[in-house]
Amino acid sequence: MSIDVPTRPTAVEPAGAETTSRWRLPFSPWHLVLIPLTFILLVPLLWMLVTSLETEGEANRFPPVLFPESPRFSNYSEAWASAPFGHFFMNSALVTLVVLASNLIVCSLAGYAFARVRFLGRGALFVTLMATLMVPFQVTMIPVFLIVKWFGDNVWEGLGIDHIGALMLPNLATAFGIFFLRQFFMTVPVELEEAARVDGTSRIGVLFKIILPLSLPALSTLAALTVLTSWNDFLWPLIVITSQDQMTIPLGLSYFQGAHRVKWPLLMAANVMSLLPMLLVFIGAQRYFVQSVASTGLKG
Amino acid sequence: MIRRSLCMALVALLAFVLAACGGGSSSGPTEIAVWHGYQDTEGEVFKSLVEQYNKEHPDVKVTELYSSNDLVLQKVLTAVRGDSAPDVAYMFGSWSPNIAKIPSLVDMADEVKQPDWKWDDFYEAEREAATVGNQVVGVPALVDNLAIVYNKKLFAEAGVAPPSPNWTWADFRAAAAKLTDPAKGQYGFLIPADGSEDTVWHYVPMLWEAGGDILTPDNSKAAFNSEAGVMALTTLQQMAVTDKSLYLDTTNENGPKLMNSGKVAMLITGPWDLSQLSDIDYDVQVMPTYAGSSGGHQTIAGPDNWVVFDNGDERKQAAIDFVKWLSAPEQVKTFSLGTGDLPIRALVGQDQAVLDQLNEGVPGTAAFVENLNNVKKVRPQVEQYPAISEALGQAIVSVMLGKDQPKAALDAAAQAADAKLAEK
Amino acid sequence: MPALLRRLSRTDTVSGWALVSPAAILIGIFGLLPVLMSLQLSFQQSDLLTDETPWVGFDNYKKLADDPVFLEAIKHTIIYTALFVPGTMLVGLFVAAALNRSVRFISVYRTAAYITMAVSTISQGIIFLWLTDRDYGLVNAALNTVGIPSQGFLASPSQALYVIVAMTIWGWTGFSVIVYLAALQGVPAELHEAAAIDGASAFTRFRTITVPLLGPANLFLIVWLTINALQLFDEVYVTTRGGPLRATTVIVYYLWDRAFVQFDAGYAAAMAYALFVVILVITAVQFRIARRHVHS
Repeated sequence: MSIDVPTRPTAVEPAGAETTSRWRLPFSPWHLVLIPLTFILLVPLLWMLVTSLETEGEANRFPPVLFPESPRFSNYSEAWASAPFGHFFMNSALVTLVVLASNLIVCSLAGYAFARVRFLGRGALFVTLMATLMVPFQVTMIPVFLIVKWFGDNVWEGLGIDHIGALMLPNLATAFGIFFLRQFFMTVPVELEEAARVDGTSRIGVLFKIILPLSLPALSTLAALTVLTSWNDFLWPLIVITSQDQMTIPLGLSYFQGAHRVKWPLLMAANVMSLLPMLLVFIGAQRYFVQSVASTGLKG
Repeated sequence: MIRRSLCMALVALLAFVLAACGGGSSSGPTEIAVWHGYQDTEGEVFKSLVEQYNKEHPDVKVTELYSSNDLVLQKVLTAVRGDSAPDVAYMFGSWSPNIAKIPSLVDMADEVKQPDWKWDDFYEAEREAATVGNQVVGVPALVDNLAIVYNKKLFAEAGVAPPSPNWTWADFRAAAAKLTDPAKGQYGFLIPADGSEDTVWHYVPMLWEAGGDILTPDNSKAAFNSEAGVMALTTLQQMAVTDKSLYLDTTNENGPKLMNSGKVAMLITGPWDLSQLSDIDYDVQVMPTYAGSSGGHQTIAGPDNWVVFDNGDERKQAAIDFVKWLSAPEQVKTFSLGTGDLPIRALVGQDQAVLDQLNEGVPGTAAFVENLNNVKKVRPQVEQYPAISEALGQAIVSVMLGKDQPKAALDAAAQAADAKLAEK
Repeated sequence: MPALLRRLSRTDTVSGWALVSPAAILIGIFGLLPVLMSLQLSFQQSDLLTDETPWVGFDNYKKLADDPVFLEAIKHTIIYTALFVPGTMLVGLFVAAALNRSVRFISVYRTAAYITMAVSTISQGIIFLWLTDRDYGLVNAALNTVGIPSQGFLASPSQALYVIVAMTIWGWTGFSVIVYLAALQGVPAELHEAAAIDGASAFTRFRTITVPLLGPANLFLIVWLTINALQLFDEVYVTTRGGPLRATTVIVYYLWDRAFVQFDAGYAAAMAYALFVVILVITAVQFRIARRHVHS
């Protein structure tokens, strides 16, 4: 390869870079594409918002009512009061934080090894780990239940059935995270690593000093995805949790979904409230999505 | 590799150890866990009943957990496999023949024979839904049935006389046709059409009224592909395909919503939908009959049960006692009046004061209670019923979609059902 | 160089295993062990109710070959996957390219893409059921205005599967966008600038510079989306329940039905493992092809 070693400056195309002599709009023409696109993507969310402000009568219509007569903001406080949502939030937050931290660390280590370290049995191990993604959870949930129960009974109660530790344990590392990071770590130029290793840096050193700083977009993406999956996980908590004080938000949301009737306005209000933390996470993670020159520290 | 076999050995050892130590005694009140699907008003009333019981019985502590009914089966099965079963769980009646096989399920047969249970006071359909062979798998928790719920205003606007007890299915069909107006997007009738048991149990009372049965009396072969079965299915075909007055709801949820929006004139449904019809003026009537058939007025009930699991003698007894208290006439009355659910005991259901109060809360409820007298048959309590239901459901939907003729569809379904029945 | 390589390979194995061991242990216990334990179930006749689970060897697997519904489910799953995977990647790439610029408010648009993934499948299902409703849906209303008669969409056996394809592409676009956005960060701006100076158009630059460098992201998406497509369940459960007339019955939906509605868990497990083999083979093929094309 004869390209100069790139330092991964931002690859975001500046707005209006290619305008030649055509007339210019007061704003970037891209807005004309992005706004309708965003609208299409956001339709479910908009529907959720509209429904969350309706009365039950209005929500029980088909075709749905798009403009509630008088928006019922009280649905939000009513939903919040229907169940100990504050407690559910805490549980969900704790589980998600632990799972996130664990995944970032463990999957980085493994992802790097699979991307760059030639070790004996690498291929076979990778395939074996990937295999765990190929069997649906409905099939494996009972064995996972039994294993987690074993941990609760023999290692520490907090890890067992009906404790939030049981929600963390099976998700501390996923083949998804490893696969994802492997792919992105592979895009880091080998030359950078080799240069450092010739200088005597250990593998771990290379990982922390070179790979990770250059992979902030990938890491923040994985973080956003992991938070999403963990926060919205429903089936596993349903199976494992049997006391209200250990419940997470999705279980709390199921309070509004009866066998014969769903309380749509309250459910949607609760859903919207549950989205807010994830929204904040993503807005925070946005800063890392764009690689900046300053953070590479490799110039010169 | 060593790790794996070590783990498996440990899991096996664990299962063995857990099986060996049963409930275990504890100082302090015996704790029993009740899993139910009550939310909202039902949930509040149920919680207050539980509190009352705990106060009156300081040696027992009942804890309740909400778990949506649709998903509780997966939860219970996993829990049973993992030796973490609850003590009492609310289970759909249609699961009875299958859950009867769970070893830790308590057979209540001897228990309910005792006179203070007043077992015969429960409607016959409920008792049958709780009985599988000689086993009584649970205690009635809920009863309901199907009847016509109609929009009075739409009938008045179309100049059609509202449903009466003398209606035949021909009358029903004619009314549905007159109440259908494609220009307004209005339909005379709606049926859940996803092919599940929801679809099937709308067809079954029609089958019974026509004089037919689901299975032969010894439960060995299908009987729904008889002339009566074809006649019942033809009625649906006429409305769906010929008249186009029947809206096929594949979501199984839009019925009450469309009704509430004034888009559907008649629904055949149960009391649970009444409270959603807040925006229209409705009334309730029994299902029509087939002229010339011995079936007369019939409807179908979908009773559900409280099921008790054996987690050791102490907990088992405490659970049985709780369920007995819960289903005693006084609590039945309290629950029914508080929630608007139909009373599960006949004596309570015949109390005019109760009926009046129910009607005050949700109009039309009394009609459903009285309709319980039209429950003459129940669905067969065989473990292959889910497979029979599936075959029948697909047949009904394919006829309503215009893809098949009733006789051919029912024959094919009967064949599949017979094969499944022959397996065991 | 050769001496360096020799030195690396011996300690490489040690350091490699040291780095993967936390992940390997965790996934081994909670991922692999359950997979093996439920493999056992596929060789038994079990209803998850009783303790009697007689060993039936390969009977469950043999039954699969004779099961017309299973064969239909295979067909549906294949059609679905073949449309969903490329569809999601293309749409995702297009949207990501559009979002990969420093236009004002760009973070708002990106947040919108992310938040679509946070919307529950239930809400998605309800929206699509309503939008495509034959009598009351917006799509048919729009079609009617241009003279096209109302379509059944999710209520039509011939169209339902394709509507589910559209619905899931919509639902997964956000994921695809996020992955591509992260990957597009790795495309050096200088390459674009140099090519622009040489006179290459934006589209040519995109095609010859950006797309090849997306190799690893593409592989990731193809593999991950395929694995998910072959295991489609939630969206079908929430909208059509496998209907109408089994038109949307896909493999995992069918096996769930066998296990938890028909109480035939051993058979369901056999189905899961037959599917597993297929997924494994397809994934391996995808990696193989990728290795030949990627020039990293």
